[in-house]
Amino acid sequence: MATTALHPAAPTYRSTLYDWVTTTDHKKIGIMYVINSFLFFFLGGLLALGVRVELAQPGLQIVTDQTYNEVFTMHATFMIFLFVIPMLAGFGNYIVPLQIGAPDMAFPRINALSLWMLPLAGTLLILSFFTGGSAAAGWTSYSPLAQDRPLGAVGPGQDLWIVALTLIGTSSILGAVNFLATIFKMRAPGMTLFRMPIMVWTVLVTSVLVLMATPVITSALIMLFIDRNYGGSFFDPANGGDPILYQNVFWFYSHPAVYVMILPAMGMISEILPVFSRKPLFGYKAFVFATAGIGALGFSVWAHHMFTTGAVYLPFFSLMTFLIAVPTGVKMFNWIFTMWRGQLTFSTPLLYAVGFLSMFLIGGINGAFSASVPVDFAIHDTYWVVAHIHYVLFGGSVFGIMAGLFYWFPKMTGRMMNETLGKVQFVLMFIGFNLTFFPMHELGLAGMPRRIADYSSTAGWNDLNLAATVGGFLIAFSMLPLLWNIFISLRSGTPAGDDPWEANTLEWATSSPPPPYNFDRLPEIRSERPLFDARHGQQADH
Amino acid sequence: MASSPRTGRSSTAIFAVGIGAVLLIGAAAVVLLSGGDPLGMSQRIVDSLYPPEAVTEQGARIRELYTIVFLIAVVIFFVVEGLIIWTVLRYRRRPGDDTLPAQTHGNNIAEVVWTVVPTLIVAFLFVVSWQTLNTVEAVSANPETRIRAVAGQFQWTFDYLDETGDNVLYTQLLPTGEDGGMAVPAGRTVLLSLESPDVIHAFYVPQFLFKRDVVPGRINTFEFTVNAKDAGQTFSGQCAELCGAGHRVMLFDVHALAPAEFDSWLAARIEEANATPPPTPSAEPGASGEPAPSGDTGQGPTLQVSALNIAFEQSELGAPADTPFKIEFENKDASVPHNVEIKDAGGASVFKGEIFNGVETRTYDVPALPAGTYTFTCTVHPNMTGTLTVN
Repeated sequence: MATTALHPAAPTYRSTLYDWVTTTDHKKIGIMYVINSFLFFFLGGLLALGVRVELAQPGLQIVTDQTYNEVFTMHATFMIFLFVIPMLAGFGNYIVPLQIGAPDMAFPRINALSLWMLPLAGTLLILSFFTGGSAAAGWTSYSPLAQDRPLGAVGPGQDLWIVALTLIGTSSILGAVNFLATIFKMRAPGMTLFRMPIMVWTVLVTSVLVLMATPVITSALIMLFIDRNYGGSFFDPANGGDPILYQNVFWFYSHPAVYVMILPAMGMISEILPVFSRKPLFGYKAFVFATAGIGALGFSVWAHHMFTTGAVYLPFFSLMTFLIAVPTGVKMFNWIFTMWRGQLTFSTPLLYAVGFLSMFLIGGINGAFSASVPVDFAIHDTYWVVAHIHYVLFGGSVFGIMAGLFYWFPKMTGRMMNETLGKVQFVLMFIGFNLTFFPMHELGLAGMPRRIADYSSTAGWNDLNLAATVGGFLIAFSMLPLLWNIFISLRSGTPAGDDPWEANTLEWATSSPPPPYNFDRLPEIRSERPLFDARHGQQADH
Repeated sequence: MASSPRTGRSSTAIFAVGIGAVLLIGAAAVVLLSGGDPLGMSQRIVDSLYPPEAVTEQGARIRELYTIVFLIAVVIFFVVEGLIIWTVLRYRRRPGDDTLPAQTHGNNIAEVVWTVVPTLIVAFLFVVSWQTLNTVEAVSANPETRIRAVAGQFQWTFDYLDETGDNVLYTQLLPTGEDGGMAVPAGRTVLLSLESPDVIHAFYVPQFLFKRDVVPGRINTFEFTVNAKDAGQTFSGQCAELCGAGHRVMLFDVHALAPAEFDSWLAARIEEANATPPPTPSAEPGASGEPAPSGDTGQGPTLQVSALNIAFEQSELGAPADTPFKIEFENKDASVPHNVEIKDAGGASVFKGEIFNGVETRTYDVPALPAGTYTFTCTVHPNMTGTLTVN
């Protein structure tokens, strides 16, 4: 009987690069999501500096009008679609399977596909700068400005933008399906829905939003592509189309997208605040219902972006927009009362989490001004709105992302980050952020519209613009301690151990970084804080 | 269980320093801006967070509403922000304190309170907003003045309509300046309709506290009444919806005139427009590349200038010094007003041709100019420029 030696299907040794590029491990994919998102964060940040340099003083100094439009369009596109959304998806990718005690995502290969569509889309967007100019119709790309016509969006830049966003949207949809399947089907024994960490809940609600909203914008984008390239007439009034229809479908996605960009960040700080307060999250169930409430209401407020179009039933959308403040307020109080009578340790994650609370509060309050329709008539499309979105997306999402980075970096790498550098970075970023964006409230009230490359030197906007530019450079400067911190921590950071923060959730029950299969064994799950229970037994009431 | 990354007071101190630094920088900035006047300082802070004084009745209602929203916002801001700051300062972990704080999981009464109270606040805000909205959006049966603002890439024109709203009495082609802009009668109701032939624009006058989109394929209207006491003033407006590369130059002026003054102004303009016979076409509209039909009266040369897509197609022109010459200007932009204006090196206007809508060609007689370098531009679109060399 002849024996045949079995050849291994694949070589036993592979390079690290090959290993990462071909991986289906949710942790490696999550880390690559984070790295890719940071790259586009820096690229988008450079474009933002371009905007701020141009606006520092009256007069056109560094760019032409057309280039200016390209710069702010691509700034928003990179920040929204290739930084905030994928960054949060990346953290979700890394954290969610660990927090529910699963060995991986439900569909690991689809997970890899979702990831790799992002750098491809990003490359298309970057290429558009070298093909006669990128998209320049704003990240909203309203029709008819985004149509292929003289003084509109001539050239391939706008088409590349549409294709890139369709890819990113597909990536999001695949990711959402994957999260939902993972969360519903792969929870460890004992991990009931109401024992899931809040981070998992927020990713769950976010995935529902993505799944319901993203196909809508994808169809809008495809219709716009047909309009531009094949003589469709969906959105171009010159051919009987309706530009308001585009706005409705665009915002039907893009308002829920704001919650896609903030809910997981809320989830992150809802993990961090209890750990650093040594208390459970105050009102866990109220928090879950508030999250679901924001998600549901989020679908009924889209037209508040269109109050000045004259084509909106104003009272309905005003009411719904006001109402969304209620579940948001519930969350705010639950966070504060989580810290109330706690024992707060001001490590960098908590610093950023408190930064989130205090800045997101402003982003919530100045949003209420826009819910009041007549007030919105005054402030819509002015710098007030720019202030508002940055208090939500920077003061909220970015501060949350920074909190999450400092909190989970030890789990991802096995090493602690440097606390001093972290705090220096926080102070710089906090001051820079407020110096940049607070004056924009005043600029908007004084009548400075968004998206203008220049303004009259007699308009009275000079000082406030200069202040915003100085703040912008301070934010950019605050990235240096972050990069240095990541560099030295990877090389020689203090070893983290399994659970450096005395945390509550399952990701801290395994080694740092976790093995490919995540867990050797799981602790008993009898509450939303299995590690707390394991540490304190039944001594503490819960 | 002690853990290495947790530090006690030093980090709190850094946090406090951070907050203190922000407050100090903010205070320093305010002091600088206020010129060291502590009394005017607080007033200035509040003023800077307020929209400008409204010059229309509707704007005044919006400003009153803003006051309500602003006051509630300020109270909520200080209460919640104060709660956050007090909590983080009060409940710091003392070094070496390992006792576990009470593990409070929540409080249903508290949840109900902070659900119901914000609901009442936003319900109140919604109701007052709705009331103001109804006032602001109200349309009277017989507006006294009807104007149509047409926003195109990248200029505003203003049509003065008769009482039916169907016939144009006079069209103002120049959006800014003493001779241009939208003149309105202070104290009278103006019904403004908004139309766009190309992309979406927005009519925005900060001192109206109001804007409305100008959507192609759709006619938006709204009413406003400039306060009688504001007659004689000029308010700046500009396009507020990104409309392309010329977005920022879409400026316009609103001149508030006393009603009698407005009537005589409009009557004079209508008479002027009727007196000038409708421009005799000096070339067939739309014909491009046709040689000038006439114009060589033995004087200077005739320069060919054309404009397409809000840009001159020529960047350099030359003319002889001290000789009158002609410019045959072809405006190829349909329904877009252009002209040719010549400015000397100091920026002073030495010649300004009549503004007219495309597609049309007209010939300007330009007086003799001394040798030098001039710029030629379009009065309506200051971003359209070229160089005229006279030697």
